[in-house]
Amino acid sequence: MTAALRYECRMMLRKRSMWIALGLITLLLAGSSAAQWRDLFHDGDARRVMGSVALLLNIFLPAGYGCLIADRLVRDDRLGVAPVLDATPASPAGRLAGKYLGVCAAVVLPMALLYFGWAVPYAAVTGGWPAVGWALAGFATVLLPAVLVVGAFALAVPLLIPAPLFRVLFVGYWFWGNSITADVMPTLAQSVLTPIGAYPLALFGVEGVIAGPQPGATLNFLRPEVTTATAGLSIGLLLVLAALTLCAAHAVRARTTR
Amino acid sequence: MNLQLWRHEVRRAGRVAWIAPPVTAAGVVLLAVVDRSDGAAGRDALRNLFAALELALPLIAGVLAASLVGRDPAAELLLTTPVRYRTVLLRRLTVIVGWTAATALAAAAVLIPAGRWEHGPVAGQLVWLAPTLWLAAAGWLAAAVLRSPGAAGGIVAVLWLLQQVLGGPIQDSRAGRLLYLFASTRGADPGDWAGNRAVLLGTAAGLGAAAWVLLGRAERLVHTAVTE
Amino acid sequence: MRIDITGLTKRYRGGVAALDGLDLTVPTGMFGLLGANGAGKTTLMRILAGLLHPTAGEVRVGGHDVTTRAGRRAVQRTLGYLPQDVGVYPDLTAREFLDYVALLKGLDDGPSRRRRVGELLEVVGLTSEAGRRLKGYSGGMRRRVGIAQALLADPRLLIVDEPTAGLDPEERIRFRTLLAQLAGDRTVLLSTHIVDDVAQTCRELAVLSAGRQVFRGTVAELTREADGHVWSVVTQGPAPAGTVVSAVPEESGMRYRVVAADRPGADAEPLRPTLEDGYLALNLRTRPAAPAR
Repeated sequence: MTAALRYECRMMLRKRSMWIALGLITLLLAGSSAAQWRDLFHDGDARRVMGSVALLLNIFLPAGYGCLIADRLVRDDRLGVAPVLDATPASPAGRLAGKYLGVCAAVVLPMALLYFGWAVPYAAVTGGWPAVGWALAGFATVLLPAVLVVGAFALAVPLLIPAPLFRVLFVGYWFWGNSITADVMPTLAQSVLTPIGAYPLALFGVEGVIAGPQPGATLNFLRPEVTTATAGLSIGLLLVLAALTLCAAHAVRARTTR
Repeated sequence: MNLQLWRHEVRRAGRVAWIAPPVTAAGVVLLAVVDRSDGAAGRDALRNLFAALELALPLIAGVLAASLVGRDPAAELLLTTPVRYRTVLLRRLTVIVGWTAATALAAAAVLIPAGRWEHGPVAGQLVWLAPTLWLAAAGWLAAAVLRSPGAAGGIVAVLWLLQQVLGGPIQDSRAGRLLYLFASTRGADPGDWAGNRAVLLGTAAGLGAAAWVLLGRAERLVHTAVTE
Repeated sequence: MRIDITGLTKRYRGGVAALDGLDLTVPTGMFGLLGANGAGKTTLMRILAGLLHPTAGEVRVGGHDVTTRAGRRAVQRTLGYLPQDVGVYPDLTAREFLDYVALLKGLDDGPSRRRRVGELLEVVGLTSEAGRRLKGYSGGMRRRVGIAQALLADPRLLIVDEPTAGLDPEERIRFRTLLAQLAGDRTVLLSTHIVDDVAQTCRELAVLSAGRQVFRGTVAELTREADGHVWSVVTQGPAPAGTVVSAVPEESGMRYRVVAADRPGADAEPLRPTLEDGYLALNLRTRPAAPAR
């Protein structure tokens, strides 16, 4: 598992296209909301600011990464590597877990660079050093769970449908499941299953983040009141969702390679 | 124009290109029919369909255009034929955009008589055409630059999400309003609509032209960097 | 169709020189290109096919300068190209795939195109399998489809890169015979590291090493490179000095066939060289010395 993790991560980080895409996405994100970034940099409420930055990154970057890594598992079959790896003594479950963690690590690293790359100057100029602590909290409770969910979906679902279709559906899902107001249509947004982390973000006091019961919305049973416990529950449920998705991927692979 | 060749390219487009646009259009209609949330009170299936033409179809065209370069198993062979490979890719792009357009026109044929159409029956086609061409051209250019369907698809995804989520901040400036993809359904200033569509078409042409130039360099498209 | 190459250099990003001032002339007919992996063969093939641009030097194919766009187009109109890794569309049948490539090669007339596709399917022995999707084809069958597509437009120049890799012995013999038959008034450039393919089909050949030409001549001349350097040694001890061509276990010990500059032992018996021996002897003579440790 460790070897799969290490080499998957290394292969991903060597992809020039990933870094170019990340650069372009960063430029687009900065250009589209320059005023917002400027205002955040001069806002003294470190907790809210680091939550807001986590939200801004989390709305866009995992969706881009989901598209990027959509073929990492099916790629092994296409390149003819799968039979070679299947013939090794390493357990398929361990390899899958290693691949998953390697992909997630490769995705998390650039996100961490961006997030902490923003947090450190912000802490030095405006927010003070507690901002770094809030950044660590935001990273662990908001960015990381989102990447773990996206990584599981992006590895598993393309085993069942073509990667381009996955990309279209995934972007649609990401928008529908995160950004739609719950009273407009049935959605997972603002619930404990919102992958951008509405519940932990609400605890950061981020403006515009809505979580908890919404009058007139369907699926309100997924929207308990926001508390530390329900934020923890939300993170736990997202991790369980990721684990279940991976188990499904393992079962599909086992069936197709048998 | 060789119809036999087009027939092959139509098949090359793949099932996703054929299924995704009509299924998406049908899906949004179905969603409106089954939706029981309070927000659904002011909408109906046809209103949803009109919005989907501008919001969803361009995403499909963009992601599929982004998948055109980098996964063609026969690219090396085709690069050595007298037909330029970028012409082959342009044909494939035309099939993708053409089918998306056919789906949109079919939807328009329902929406116009039902009175759920805006900007007139002819000019109103720019509701879907301008963002579809723009995102398709952006996806094609991203594909030409990155030669990775995943990375290029990621760019299209983020572009689409940015326009959806940050529609307000983007439209704070005139330049942003002119380049806003969803000005028909979520535009702030109706007076900018015609200008917005013209700018989108113009910039789409620019993006497409840039991709055309890049795709003319065969060396970039030969899959692996060879040292043998 | 004659190929004239002068001072051809190709450097990849990072400064790796795949070809380093190569001078080579290829006459009409069958011509072999030998070299180890990394010698620059595939790069040369790709330059001739118009896929890569040279960093420096001149390449003329049938009088057309392939460093210009017009020259490349002119060559591609008369080119049949079989790449080392032939890629096909798995969801098409062999007949459909060949029809598609034929259209791209300008065979617009339907009946004559279909006839040509049928003929070539027959030539490569795939007529009975022509209606099956390519995803169900073995590696050798895909290679045969690749060969068929290269011949579609009746090319004057046929560039084949490792064409027999993945073919079974019978297919290999059949294919190289076909190539030799096609050579007549065409140029067939056969790049390979399987020496026997060249020995059985080519009269002339060149050997590349580290992006340069280290030999240009006939098969007989390359074979003569090993004259007096091929030995048979039977020993129970370690392998004798030199390049071991083969090792066969016998009752009295291991019988080695070696190519060595000097007699490897008093009981070594001289042998008549083959082309493979000649190639190895050339390598011994031209290979850059390993750096001292």
